[in-house]
Amino acid sequence: MTAPDLTVTIAKDLADLIPVFMKNRQKELETLRRALAEEDFEQLRQLGHRMKGVGHSYGFAQVSEIGQRIEDRARGSDRGAIDACISEYADYLSKVQVVYE
Amino acid sequence: MSERAGGPGAPPAPVPFRVLVVDDDADMVAFLARMLQAEGMIVESASNGESALSQVTAAAPDLVLLDVMMPGASGFDVCRQLKDHEATALIPVVLVTALEDSESRVRGIEAGADDFLSKPVKREELIARVKTLRRLHETRKELESRRLAAEVQRKDAIRKAFSRYISPRLADRIADAAGEQGDPFQGRAQRTSLVALFADLRGFTRLTEKTEVGAVVGMLNEYFAVLTEAAYQHDGTIFNMAGDSLLVGFNVPFPQPDAAERAWRTALEMVGRFAPVALAWRKRHGLDLGVGVGICAGDAIIGNVGSAHYASYTIIGNPVNTAARLMQMAAAGEVLVCGPVYERIRHLVTGRSVEGRGDVTLRGRLEPIPVYAVQATAGVAA
Repeated sequence: MTAPDLTVTIAKDLADLIPVFMKNRQKELETLRRALAEEDFEQLRQLGHRMKGVGHSYGFAQVSEIGQRIEDRARGSDRGAIDACISEYADYLSKVQVVYE
Repeated sequence: MSERAGGPGAPPAPVPFRVLVVDDDADMVAFLARMLQAEGMIVESASNGESALSQVTAAAPDLVLLDVMMPGASGFDVCRQLKDHEATALIPVVLVTALEDSESRVRGIEAGADDFLSKPVKREELIARVKTLRRLHETRKELESRRLAAEVQRKDAIRKAFSRYISPRLADRIADAAGEQGDPFQGRAQRTSLVALFADLRGFTRLTEKTEVGAVVGMLNEYFAVLTEAAYQHDGTIFNMAGDSLLVGFNVPFPQPDAAERAWRTALEMVGRFAPVALAWRKRHGLDLGVGVGICAGDAIIGNVGSAHYASYTIIGNPVNTAARLMQMAAAGEVLVCGPVYERIRHLVTGRSVEGRGDVTLRGRLEPIPVYAVQATAGVAA
């Protein structure tokens, strides 16, 4: 895995949507952790799929990328790999910087 | 949802274009809404398939942007339901599917989706697809409204053309029954069971001899106005107007199971409505006139008869000829009917003076037919 770009450039007209978007990602992180603890791989797959769809749409390619991996690993019920993805996601969300243009 | 309907500098939408965004992910809805609103579109949203369907039913949008993966009814289910119903089938549906999910595309095509959009959504792609569908939708709407306008015009012309012969209600039915091809009566000549009613003015010859021409025409107009009103009242169709006689058909061109009863009520109404007119004429001109009616049922031919230059929509056959003979025999205020018609109206004429004339051999007929003379006393409704 290459180091993700921690600076994301977002179109100005989406600026007011970003705080809600980021808050929802934090909630998502909690839901992922809970689902993993319960070993609910179907929910993990769905959450990953959703991340994949919404992340890049807003400009957060990394969110989509991690989501894609969670979706794939959930299909294989790969607990360890998903755990690693969730940690990576938490780390990314804590460091990402948004620039508007 | 956003409070603004378009960013600064966004081109103003000439016609409001309403898009329903259906997605269980609120961030996705917010994102799509923002993009569409920036293009001047009005955006509504639903977070699941069920509420999407009820929203479409309540107020049809111009386009539906539909996520495939939703809890409950999937995007495919919603799309299929929209396409299965006539009222919603023409609303364009864009399915939003995961990138390179060819299986979803195939299923979407099967469900009737008009277009697809990949998730993650690219702004340019979204706008391009929605704009294309918007143009298509607007063109379709315009064509439809033009087609409707032409249809209304054509029906109006038919209605106008026929409203001189038949009641407005029948004219409406003919206009509605008319298919896509022009003249609804072309090539429609057919043998059919009908009831023919002939009415004329007893004493008309004397009227023409004793009254000056201008006055005769005015009086005839007054008389025919009364008779046609009576015919339309009971949905009779006027097939012929000659001199002072009027031919009205029932059970044509549309079936009337109670044709004989309608004919009788029409005769009664003609006599009744003419009574005050006759009274006025007596005072003014010293003339004694009244309406005589003949009614007969049977099979006849109905259709356009004539040449390419002149044709008349008419009925031809025994019942018509017999009704004419019966009319000639009827005294003022009298209705002469053939046996089968009498059987049908017997219950309506109780209390009236009915005279069985026995079997009468009419001019031009070989077989004698039973004839009844019923007194149509003015002003009494059956």
